[in-house]
Parts: sequence; C-alpha cells; structure tokens
Amino acid sequence: MTDEVITLGHFFAEARAGRLTAIRCRQCRELAIPPKEYCPGCHERDWEPAPLRGTGTIASYTVIRVPPRGQPAGTPYAVAVVRLDEGVSLLGRVVDLPVDAVKTGLLVRFLPLVDGQQTAIGFTPA
Amino acid sequence: MRRVAVIGVGVTRFGRHERSSAELFAEAAREAIEDAEIRPEAIQALYYGNVTGGEAERQLHMGPLAASLLGLPGVPTTRFETACASSHAAFRHAVMEIAAGVSDVVMVGGGERILHVPTDAATEYFAYCSDATFEQTLGLTFPGVFALIARAHMDKYGTTEEQMAHVAVKNHRHGALNPKAQIRKEIGLDTVLKSAYVADPLKLYDCCPFTDGGAAVVLAAEDVARRHRRAVWVLASHAASDTMFMHDKRDLSRVTATERAAQGAYRQAGRSPADVDVVELHDCFTIAEIVATEGLGFFEPGTGGIAAEKGWTSLEGKIPVNPSGGLKAKGHPIGATGAAQVAEIVTQLRGEAGARQVDGAATGLVHTLGGNTATVVVSLLGRD
Repeated sequence: MTDEVITLGHFFAEARAGRLTAIRCRQCRELAIPPKEYCPGCHERDWEPAPLRGTGTIASYTVIRVPPRGQPAGTPYAVAVVRLDEGVSLLGRVVDLPVDAVKTGLLVRFLPLVDGQQTAIGFTPA
Repeated sequence: MRRVAVIGVGVTRFGRHERSSAELFAEAAREAIEDAEIRPEAIQALYYGNVTGGEAERQLHMGPLAASLLGLPGVPTTRFETACASSHAAFRHAVMEIAAGVSDVVMVGGGERILHVPTDAATEYFAYCSDATFEQTLGLTFPGVFALIARAHMDKYGTTEEQMAHVAVKNHRHGALNPKAQIRKEIGLDTVLKSAYVADPLKLYDCCPFTDGGAAVVLAAEDVARRHRRAVWVLASHAASDTMFMHDKRDLSRVTATERAAQGAYRQAGRSPADVDVVELHDCFTIAEIVATEGLGFFEPGTGGIAAEKGWTSLEGKIPVNPSGGLKAKGHPIGATGAAQVAEIVTQLRGEAGARQVDGAATGLVHTLGGNTATVVVSLLGRD
C-alpha cells in the first residue's frame, strides 16, 4: 500500500477524479500530503491512505495581477492556502468567486481544475 | 579547522547590462583579485552562483565558463543553484573547503542576466524556484509567495501595508548613497502606497526589481589572510532548509529556515544578535525584510513592522539593515546577490562604505534566502 499512495501520480489521479487523498503514518499518526518517502514526524516509512473530506478554510491568500507566461486563465486570479478540516493544508486556485470577495476564514471545498493532461488544485466556496 | 577570511571583494554596477552573466561575474572577479592584491593564479577553486542561465541565456555548465572568462581554465569549479541564495551557498562551501585544508585561496561569486527577456518570461523562470506540481500549475509567482506570507503576518500581528512601505522608503534612501545601486532615487511613502498591486497585499514598490549584475569575493586561509591588512574574518556560515511546499509550512508568518540558520551561525560564532552592528538581509519584498529582522533575532516575532516604522533599521537606527539599499534598491541579480551582500558587509567592516558607512561597525551579518523560503544561508563576519 505504501508504495502507491505516496506518489505524486496517485495523488493527482485521485484529485482528477474529485478525491483528495492524503497519507497517514501508522506509527505516529502524522497526516501528510504526498509525495513523501519517510514520515516527517517520526521518520518511519509506514503509510496508509487517508481520504480527506476536501473542505476547509482559507488561511492566507493573494490575488495575482502580474502572471507568469503561459497562464491560460485571465488575470487577476486568487491563490489561497487552505487549512483542511483534517489539519493539513493545500494551496489552490480560488474559483467561482470574484477576487475581491476572497477572504481569510472563508469556507471552501476542493474542486479539481482539469486542463488537458494537467490537474491542479482548486477551491470553490463551500 | 582553519580560520577563513575574505581578502578581496568586487561588484559590478547593478542594472541593465549588454553582457552575459558569466562576463559580469568575471568583471567582478577581476575587481576582487585586484582588491585582494593577489595574482590570479593564486586561486585554487572557483564556485559560481547562477539561477536562470539555462532559461534566459541558453547556457549551462557555467563553472568552467566563468573560469575560462577569468583566464583560469584548469581550476576545479562548480555552479551552485539554491535559487536566490546560490552564491551565498557557494560561499559557505568555499569556507568549509578552506577550513578543512583542501584549498588556501578560493574565488566565490555569481552572475545573473535577466533584463533582456520579457517580464512574463522572467516571472515564469523565477517561478521555477517554487514547486512545479503544486505551485506553478496554479500560476503562483514569487510576489505571490511573499504575499501569502504578508497576509499571514498582517492577520496574526496587525502588520500594515504602511509599515511594509517604510522598508521600501528606507532601502531606497540607502540605495541613493550607493554608486553601484540599480535605483538611486529616494521615494516617499505615497509612492509605495499608491503603486499598483502586483500580488495583493504587495504592490510594485514592495518588490525588488529584476537585475543584471555580478559579484565576487576572494576567500583565504588564515596564514594567507594574515598578510592582508584589510582581511575580514568569517566568524560563521550556516545554512538551513525548510519544506519546499508552501502547503507544508507550519506558520506562514515565519521563515523557519532563517531562524535555524541564524541560531546555527550565532552558536558557531559565539555571538548573539546584540553583537551585530550591521546587516545585509534578503529584502526581495518588503515583508521579507520584516520577517527576516524577526527571524534573525533583532526584534520579537510580530514587531518587525513596528521597527521599520520607527526607523530602527535605518542607517542611523539601532541596527542598520541593508545600508547598500538592499535587493530593493541596489538590485537583485539573483545568482550574484549572496556574494554582493558579503561584499557590502566586508566594505562596511573595513570602514570603506563612504556615505552609507555604519560608524564603527565591527561585526556584520549576511542573510540570503532562496526561493519560496526553502533555503537560507546566514554568515557572520568580523574585524580582528
């Protein structure tokens, strides 16, 4: 079990299907976002999959007004660090909300952003 | 372990150049060799910092290129890449090589050329220093990374955009005194506060510019350095890393790599923040200076904004920070920045900094941060 669930490929394949799947250390119960070989808490390698509900609150955010080259979506766009209910965080694009309405503490829900072969993490108001 | 000293420094003018990054480094290195009053062939190794050479200049394998341009093919050489901390990482490894007795004289420096590419391409290349899968796919830029930190600091401590603006005003005032600075123009608070948002809450004047430039320092073992009247000793050089992932950072209002590298450096040198007379630190964004002054132990967490507002970090303040103008005004050629910061502190400790001299400075600190706060190198330098 450990070998597959710790990979980036598995995490994003799950995300593409609408499921956020973290990993939990069987030894110290640390919850982590893949990919990680050893547990950052106890440095053992004994992971099990830990499905996440996908809901959380915005811990910090920014509105990007000067984008890097090659961004398909128009500017401005909001990127937020979301503290998920289970205690881990994820960075995601905030969609379905005017950028001026994005606020710290806002309740959001995970949404995969699929563009061709690429899957990115998105969040929409809960 | 042998003691190590800086015996020569060189920095190009920062700004737009029509020369390659390796040429800019070589110009600075020649100046450093002259400053050290040594023959070029005294150099036994060359460590070179550069970040965007592959993308912006179609040039890799930069170590031997830099050595060739300097007329020193044959020395062992390596390019270091730790994002914006590249040449400070190179510096630390050169210090260890000399301390360990492998080499007696080592050249360290860096070069970067980026102003010839469009801003959106430069923004993309710099973003390669954040994670490709979780961060670049979202269009997270470097102003964006520090905006996330700024928002967290504002929410937790009440830090204001005006306090951040004070950092920019101060560093521009210092930069106006530095003949090699990219921007030699004083600005007012209004200029910062009325500038356009780049990544809220950071505005254009909260951000350092894109810069071309080179910097170099010559390091030597104690028995060589003792013959140099202006030698400045390396009291400590310590590095730390933090998780590469913004989502794994435990507290976005802090830079834990800064705290760890600083603690290690103070311990190694047997010094404390109270012993430091002058600081060059990594102000890639105004909030970065505020958080760094806290992480380096000069101010309590959450009070760095107040310190900036009160002028405690200005040339005349309690602890002068970035007398060179910092990355904000002096400029930030990312691969050269660490070496340029070391060069400024050496110049200050020799008492040769002219209008921006911190009177009587005897102990200086250099802090360089790489990318998304995942690399930090801190060195302490001192006069005998």
